[in-house]
Amino acid sequence: MTDAFALPTRFGTQALGGCYAPETLMQPLLDLEAAFCGALADPAFQTELKAELRHFVGRPTPLTPAPRLAAKLGLKALFLKREDLAHTGAHKINNALAQALLARRMGKTEIIAETGAGQHGVATAAACARLGLRCTVYMGVTDMARQAPNVARMRLFGATVEPVAAGQGTLKEAVNEALRAWAGRCTTAHYILGSALGPHPFPTLVRSFQTVIGEEARAQVLEQGGALPDAVVACAGGGSNGLGLLVPFLGDRLRRMAVEAGGHGRALGEHAARLDGGRLGVLHGCKTLLLQDEHGHTAETASVSAGLDYPALGPELAALVLDGKVDVRRASDDEALAAARLLCETEGILPALESSHALALLPTLAAEGAATVLLGLSGRGDKDLSTYQSHLEF
Amino acid sequence: MALNPLLPFIMAGDPSLEALPGYLSEARALGLEALELGLPHSDPIADGPVLQAAAHRAIARGATPRRVLEALSGLTDSPDLILFTYLNPLLQLGVEPLLRLLEPTPVKSLLVVDLPFGEEPAFEATLRGAGYPMVPLLAPTTRLERAQALLGTRPDPGPEAPFAQRFAYVVARLGVTGAGQGTDLAPVLKRLDALKAISDRPLAVGFGLSDPASLRAVRALGATPVIGSALVAGLTSGSSIRTALSRCFC
Repeated sequence: MTDAFALPTRFGTQALGGCYAPETLMQPLLDLEAAFCGALADPAFQTELKAELRHFVGRPTPLTPAPRLAAKLGLKALFLKREDLAHTGAHKINNALAQALLARRMGKTEIIAETGAGQHGVATAAACARLGLRCTVYMGVTDMARQAPNVARMRLFGATVEPVAAGQGTLKEAVNEALRAWAGRCTTAHYILGSALGPHPFPTLVRSFQTVIGEEARAQVLEQGGALPDAVVACAGGGSNGLGLLVPFLGDRLRRMAVEAGGHGRALGEHAARLDGGRLGVLHGCKTLLLQDEHGHTAETASVSAGLDYPALGPELAALVLDGKVDVRRASDDEALAAARLLCETEGILPALESSHALALLPTLAAEGAATVLLGLSGRGDKDLSTYQSHLEF
Repeated sequence: MALNPLLPFIMAGDPSLEALPGYLSEARALGLEALELGLPHSDPIADGPVLQAAAHRAIARGATPRRVLEALSGLTDSPDLILFTYLNPLLQLGVEPLLRLLEPTPVKSLLVVDLPFGEEPAFEATLRGAGYPMVPLLAPTTRLERAQALLGTRPDPGPEAPFAQRFAYVVARLGVTGAGQGTDLAPVLKRLDALKAISDRPLAVGFGLSDPASLRAVRALGATPVIGSALVAGLTSGSSIRTALSRCFC
């Protein structure tokens, strides 16, 4: 076969990932991988990316000790990696900005993106405004309603937000529509996928632009705490935040934990916990753990958190889980909401609903004997204020 | 009305599985040699609004992959069928049950939109070995060298085999399936010329063809036009296959 991919396309012992893309997208995906490899090897690209991450995004983000919350939960120490303090309010900007630079390097004039909670959409819109690229963001109508502030922010940054009414109107449908749009405009547009999923090379690309989170956090916790923690924990929707934080700790002797959305029940359709009832399947270009019915149709999902409300776990994270390198737990809507409130009251930090799922695991970790924990606070909760107001009495 | 050559597409289970044998019988009576039958999927990423809606209607009415194939069991009054599908429903069935379901049907080949050659080699080899080859897809973004390689990986079984097992599907335009009066045919006509120089297998052209002029232009180059969304839209409004197709010719 001519034009084979240069990088590995599969992950783990079960060979997850791959490139299950329509033929129209194969050449754009091959071109994208070539551009990505070229950029990684180009010191000028690396220098520009580092400068943008520092002066535009605000990296490195702080590692904040959270002593009052730690004491309340019976932990000796708790450190929060503050991606909520990155520009646009979440870790998504790390990948969005890097891919926008890559798109400009490829000579693309338009950016297409999908978004669930709106954090990736906002980050992409901001990066496009900064680099002078046209931006179209596909977003489910359900998510547009529950994350309205982010819709307004995208539009202020000059992006077009295309409502997607199909299905449940959430992230899955937004990805469907973004893939269709990209197939129509792939000669001039680049698709900035926001999570570590999709056909190769997207999972690898997104992970490599997000591991800056864990690299910084590992150095910071060694400097501030003098040792590695007992556990590192992140929430996981598709897996960009989970991989970004956890991958740099893969060689360490500690517990690596990812937390999925437990929603409001354990039946199919009531949650987005792919480890509970998910089976290997192919969706959106990759083979991975997927919530689906017996016929191979994608199942509906539910979560109070739009960013975790997705039926597939990214293939690399799923492979790490199946191969025993990352442990996955679930947190319910109610547990996440309560955890958010506790962080607000003890530390003066308003977390995103997504990050609150990671926070909700802390009592369990304490009960299981963890003394020191590093937690990825993936985003800020301003976008979720209306949800907090309607669920929590204050 | 000169119907042939023509490769029609209909969505299994839309409007109902009960209607399917009647459509296939009518298509055969019209002299159509082959027909693409869509297996409805929840997330049809290569399809435009008409086929998305048809798939979702069919699923809502219970057209699971198993039921669709069971509805085809024993049918002989039918054109050769090309099962047009996404990969995951086939993977979830499993290759052996899939083969058992396919055996009594008029299905002759599979067109799996999201299965590039080499991603599921064992699965594809088993199906091919059992007489169900995968149709090669060539897109506007497929370079000619890659097209040549793709035609080699999913080879032409030869002139004694039916069209459904021999043809390559040439995608006429970027984007998704759907009728498009404005489709610029110049690039795909040029592509057909180039392909005919490197391969003598039959070619079908689809995506965005629905008017008599584009059908004529494709046929003039010896290729078979595919009519999908325009036909499905016609069937949805209650037309027969003949009436729905004749609208595309007038």
